[in-house]
Amino acid sequence: MATEEKLNPEGEKQQTSLDTAAARNLATTTKTPPQMQGITSRWLLKMLQWVDVQGGVYRVNRRLSFAVGDGRLTFTNIGAKASVVPQELSELPMLRGYDDIDVLQALSDRFVQRDLKAGDVIVERGAPADAIYLIAHGKVNKIGVGKYGDTTVLETLADGDYFTYTAVLESQDFWDFTAKAVTSGTILVLQQSAFESMVDQHESLRRHIEAFKEKAAKPKDQSGEAPIELSAGKKGEYILPDTFVDYELKPREYELAVAQTVLQVHTRVADLYNNPMNQVEEQLRLTIEALRERQEYEMINNREIGLIHNADFKQRVHTRSGPPTPDDMDELLALVDKEPGFFLAHPRAIAAFGAECNKRGLYPQATDVGGNRVPAWRGVPIFPCGKIPVSEARTSTIMLMRTGHANQGVVGLHQTSIPDEYQPSLNVRFMGINEKAIMQYLVSAYYSVAVLVPDALALLESVEIGRSGE
Amino acid sequence: MTTHDPTEQQQQTSLSTQAARNLATVTKSAPQMQGITPRWLSRLIPWVEVSGGVYRVNQRRSYEVGDGTIGFTQVGSALRVIPRELGELPILRGLDDDELLEALADRFEQREVGEGQRVVVEGEPAEHVFLLARGKATKTRLGKYGDRLELGVLTEGDHFGVHALMEPEGRWEDSVEALTPCTVLTLRRDAFEAMIERSPALRAHLEALAERQRRPQDKHGQAAIELAAGHQGEARLPTTFVDYERFPREYEFQVAQTILHVHTRVADLYNGPFDQVAEQLRLTVEALRERREHELINDPEIGLLHAAVHDQRIKTRKGPPTPDDLDELITRRRKTQLLLAHPRAIAAFGRECNRRGVYPQSVVVDGVPSAAWRGIPLLPCDKLPISSGFTTSILAMRFGEEHQGVVGLRPSKLPDEREPGLNVRFMGIDERAVLRYLVSTYYSVAILIPDALGVLEDVELIR
Repeated sequence: MATEEKLNPEGEKQQTSLDTAAARNLATTTKTPPQMQGITSRWLLKMLQWVDVQGGVYRVNRRLSFAVGDGRLTFTNIGAKASVVPQELSELPMLRGYDDIDVLQALSDRFVQRDLKAGDVIVERGAPADAIYLIAHGKVNKIGVGKYGDTTVLETLADGDYFTYTAVLESQDFWDFTAKAVTSGTILVLQQSAFESMVDQHESLRRHIEAFKEKAAKPKDQSGEAPIELSAGKKGEYILPDTFVDYELKPREYELAVAQTVLQVHTRVADLYNNPMNQVEEQLRLTIEALRERQEYEMINNREIGLIHNADFKQRVHTRSGPPTPDDMDELLALVDKEPGFFLAHPRAIAAFGAECNKRGLYPQATDVGGNRVPAWRGVPIFPCGKIPVSEARTSTIMLMRTGHANQGVVGLHQTSIPDEYQPSLNVRFMGINEKAIMQYLVSAYYSVAVLVPDALALLESVEIGRSGE
Repeated sequence: MTTHDPTEQQQQTSLSTQAARNLATVTKSAPQMQGITPRWLSRLIPWVEVSGGVYRVNQRRSYEVGDGTIGFTQVGSALRVIPRELGELPILRGLDDDELLEALADRFEQREVGEGQRVVVEGEPAEHVFLLARGKATKTRLGKYGDRLELGVLTEGDHFGVHALMEPEGRWEDSVEALTPCTVLTLRRDAFEAMIERSPALRAHLEALAERQRRPQDKHGQAAIELAAGHQGEARLPTTFVDYERFPREYEFQVAQTILHVHTRVADLYNGPFDQVAEQLRLTVEALRERREHELINDPEIGLLHAAVHDQRIKTRKGPPTPDDLDELITRRRKTQLLLAHPRAIAAFGRECNRRGVYPQSVVVDGVPSAAWRGIPLLPCDKLPISSGFTTSILAMRFGEEHQGVVGLRPSKLPDEREPGLNVRFMGIDERAVLRYLVSTYYSVAILIPDALGVLEDVELIR
């Protein structure tokens, strides 16, 4: 017998069995734990070796170093007029440690601004060296002469760099390179005569310069460390050099930084809605993920401990043309030549580097790290890290570091076995339940990062990203 | 909820971390030192333990005559060959009559050659010997199919055309063209012949040389081992013996040492958590090992840069180290195991590869990824000197006694040995209460046969 299909008054099909919408009310659904977009692979945290710091402070002892400053300068500009921040002048080697602000201010006023076009020659090799040049903006190549008379780019200088005559130490000298502008830019110039008249006028400055001369005359090795006297390759009976290894008197101390938050969970939620997932656990898990992300951000960007701010100035190079080329990466590898660990770059910088490789027809082999295929250059893995800042001018930074305590690399610092420890160096302390019946947990992560010797970390700066491939 | 006014000075309500630190112990790092490098050479070279202080390398007897580079002195723009250095010319090797050499040196004439000019042209009569004092030149020959073949690059201290002095009717087999502006010193054959007339010593020397060269020798100049092959019937077989060098090269140990001072008060009291003496020693030993690495490369007597024979020294063709140059360097020996270069030279090589679109596969050495060429690791060593003209050298070598390669030498057993080849001897405490330790390391490096080591010279670090 065939049953005839019944239609209800609206002309729709009559439901003859339990529909899924109704059935769902009886069934349990399979739920995912709460998901979160901000979680990244946090390669920096994964790849660093962590040193346990008891007592909250880590002191890095180094051999005594006499190297005089060669940091970078900062400029202010009002309209098109640039001037150097007076305090920043103490980055110049001969003014390192000098802090008479009035004199520095007067010095900074004496600098004369010069605007450059691409291709302008600033100083000529062989001409008498008689001025201090500060680069406020733009890129300048230092060009020397090779053995067979061909020209060689010695170094690329950029914003904040400077070059100066060394006649503070020598009576007369000549530029041993030609400085030529690569891009248009602005430089500030102070003539030697102007500097010397300042020295004559100010007694404190004169004393400082004399002390500087004395310090520069002390023996030091090529890293600027007090030398360990040795003798080698001699025969017969001769008097051996005596030595001792001098340490820095005021070593750098790293305090553990903290990332903290107060997690609040209503007791009603914590008591009742615990199946199948523990609500407090899930809240905690996501909070910790967020804290760890923040920790990685701080380890890169924090002004005090962040790696970007802790790279030695000799360990910073600028890209030659803008985008990160294979040549620039080779240059970076030459700076951390002792067992480089990994590159860290913004994902878009990695893409820009890939584009440069493609343009040259290069296909760098990927390498295998813990079961993941990771892009690499010369066998050194390049890890993505979205926390490296990208400036408004679309420039970023690529880092290269050596890791590990044994080979004097970059190490992460943390303290284990803290009270209520939940993960290494991260604790969750119950704060109590307040009068609104909200449970409060204090979640804190303690961390820091130390560069044991300066050549463990190098930066490639002003990496342009997103330039079209042409 | 309270909001913090950032301008308001916050009242501290509990103990600050600054103050707490005074009670807590600080975790300290052992003293760090910037100068420590991976010291790849010391790490990879096989060390042979030598008892008795001397290592003798026995080689097959060789009749080969010298062929080194020649040095010059400069006064103003006038260049003069250093008379003694003329002994590097094969025909003058072993001649030690200073007066004669002085007289010869005076007869050289200086000539400037512009870039791209030919110094000699093949087929033309050869009447001069040339010493290249400044600049770079290339030796070419017309190939079988009419194109120019490049036979090699000549640089400062090289010479060519010695045969012109000996053969009256000789003609140039190759052309030499200046790659950069060059200065050459030349000696005419008739001037040389006039010297032979005047000096019996020179004549005797040349005759002895001719005598020596008539003895049977193989292509390396070694006394030949007579063999027969491919004969039929009852041919008379050659009898032979393998002749050894009469005066084999002996390597003595070099020493690098220092006296370490530690005040007894420091050693007695300040020992937690680091043993002060041990830390002082550790850094001193590191410094000595760095020095040893430096000496292994640069020591004028044993250093690898100086020990390479002339045949194994090649020059870059253009300046920067190209893949072609490294191929040339590698082909000079079997089984090259290591290329050692200054980090900046590695970067320069990388640039040359990038320009050509070549991506050499990297290799892993001791767990460290490193650059490589043709599967041979290219490792950094900042002990290789960079000249004022921004040139450096790249070393290529084969290792081990079993491969007749380069070996490091160290004494097998030392009193008060701290690690192989290095000892620390307590010298006593002086009247100022200072402990004194004598720290010494003994080392040497031997090249068992000359082709174990090659040098690529004149590597320019142009960016």
